[in-house]
Amino acid sequence: MKDPEMLDRDGEDGGAPILRICGASKAFGGVQALENVSFEVSQGMILGMIGPNGAGKTTLFNLISGLYPPDAGRIFFNEEEIQRLPTHQRVRMGIARTFQNLALFENMNVLENVMVGQHVRTRCGFWGAIARTTGVRREEAACRENALALLDMVGLVDQALKPSADLPFGWQRLLEIARALASRPRVLLLDEPASGLNALETGRLGDLILAIRNQGITIVLVEHDMSLTMSVSDRIIVLDQGRVLASGTPEEIQTHSAVRTAYLGEHCEQR
Amino acid sequence: MTQSSLHETVRIGLLTGAVAAAGILFDNAYHIQVLVFIGINTILTLGLNLLMGYTGQISLGHAAFYGIGAYTSAILTVHFQFSPWAALFPSLGLAVLVALIVGIPTLKLSGYYLAMGTLGFGMIVFIVFRELDFWTGGSSGLAGIPSLKIGSVDLMSGRNFYYLVWGAVLGTLVVSRRLIESRVGRALRSIHGSEHAAMAIGVNTQAYKLQVFVFSAFLAALAGFLYAHCIGFISPGSFDFMASVRMVTMVVIGGMASIWGALLGASLLTLLPEWLHAFADYEMIVYGLILMLVMIFLPQGLLRGLLDIYERSRNA
Repeated sequence: MKDPEMLDRDGEDGGAPILRICGASKAFGGVQALENVSFEVSQGMILGMIGPNGAGKTTLFNLISGLYPPDAGRIFFNEEEIQRLPTHQRVRMGIARTFQNLALFENMNVLENVMVGQHVRTRCGFWGAIARTTGVRREEAACRENALALLDMVGLVDQALKPSADLPFGWQRLLEIARALASRPRVLLLDEPASGLNALETGRLGDLILAIRNQGITIVLVEHDMSLTMSVSDRIIVLDQGRVLASGTPEEIQTHSAVRTAYLGEHCEQR
Repeated sequence: MTQSSLHETVRIGLLTGAVAAAGILFDNAYHIQVLVFIGINTILTLGLNLLMGYTGQISLGHAAFYGIGAYTSAILTVHFQFSPWAALFPSLGLAVLVALIVGIPTLKLSGYYLAMGTLGFGMIVFIVFRELDFWTGGSSGLAGIPSLKIGSVDLMSGRNFYYLVWGAVLGTLVVSRRLIESRVGRALRSIHGSEHAAMAIGVNTQAYKLQVFVFSAFLAALAGFLYAHCIGFISPGSFDFMASVRMVTMVVIGGMASIWGALLGASLLTLLPEWLHAFADYEMIVYGLILMLVMIFLPQGLLRGLLDIYERSRNA
């Protein structure tokens, strides 16, 4: 059951919406992964997105980042329509993401992974690379410094020269966040960043997410770990079978009856 | 300057010294000729390695670009009385143009479309070389290609040509090195790592794949130009499907994504047929076997594989 009153309250608290999804739909074959999904994300907030597996959370991320186009509906970033733009242009505008199944470049070391993350904020092209002018050298040095600073922020600076595949799983997740931050995003989409982490690591991840938000970066967090999602999110959206089931503050969601039966209840019983 | 690029500079300096020393020491015209072929094959392998080893895009028709460089220059000099140097630019230009035409549609798709597309493309170009006989001489080949001159110095005499080719090799090495160690090189390697992830960090994968494909075609055409003016005679057989396979083998044997491996792979596969004249009829089988064995036992290529074995024996 939907609660229309709660549905319409997104984006009313504070800043202008930086991300707006209007009636997005997407089907794969006969399966309707998303159906007429609409919501807004205000500047500087952390939006938690929850829902059972197959609810369409990752599909939604793929639509926002542009890995595939929506069948219907529109997506606005900073009031600019973006659903037709290629992925790399959206990254340049300020949308960064991480992947649920990790997508690090295993043929590069840790430092290079974060350096390549700055691709859209650096300029050296084919001829510049061959000529290797002072400007290019300077940019390369700055890129390296930035990458080391980001690695320091996530606590991996000592691992800079290791092959990225040699890092323990939890650190690989942090590296992927650092790589996403390297593009200096305005919106960061985190796809299940806590999955595979232990309790201690999850706690640190929560602190990191808050620290990122405090730099002014808006965050959309897809996460199955309820205590993490509830503790860091300003607002929460519940997706179920490709539709928005409910949205509201963490407190409202926790007391929302439809959500409890559809998702939280099941989730608790499984534990 | 970082430590690794300092090492690199030292290595390139050492190679330059070795090239100069070999030019002085080797007297035998045959040996010089073999060294010239190693140089030409190294340029080919470096170009293909940027595409295959670093960017992860497989071309099975690179001999076509090698042939376009050779035939364009040969036809212009033999039939149209161009001076060889004046023919250099149209040769490279045509290869670049053709690479754009082939690359734009095939590189839009990810996966093995480039391999399939270039396979067909290589066959078509081979047939054009063979059938366009009023220009190319057909299967019997095109003779009388003039040698290169700088001023009054004829580069045909083995040693001078040797220096020219190896000058081009060193230039290609430095350029490849600089590309790889730059923002562009990281973007190319990210495509090899995961094309989706590369897009998600903002790399215009299509544009980069096209760029590196065109550049590797450019290098292949440069090698073809040098080849045509080195031996003065070309025939379609040097640019057939087997020639493309030979190039892929050089990249794989030396080591994917390794610039020094390209040098090793090109050297070995140039020397091998010279050593194994008896096996000439079984060339396909020998290459197939080598490819299989390297893939199974030294998947990182001979260079990396041998270094690993050396390090293990030293630690043991």
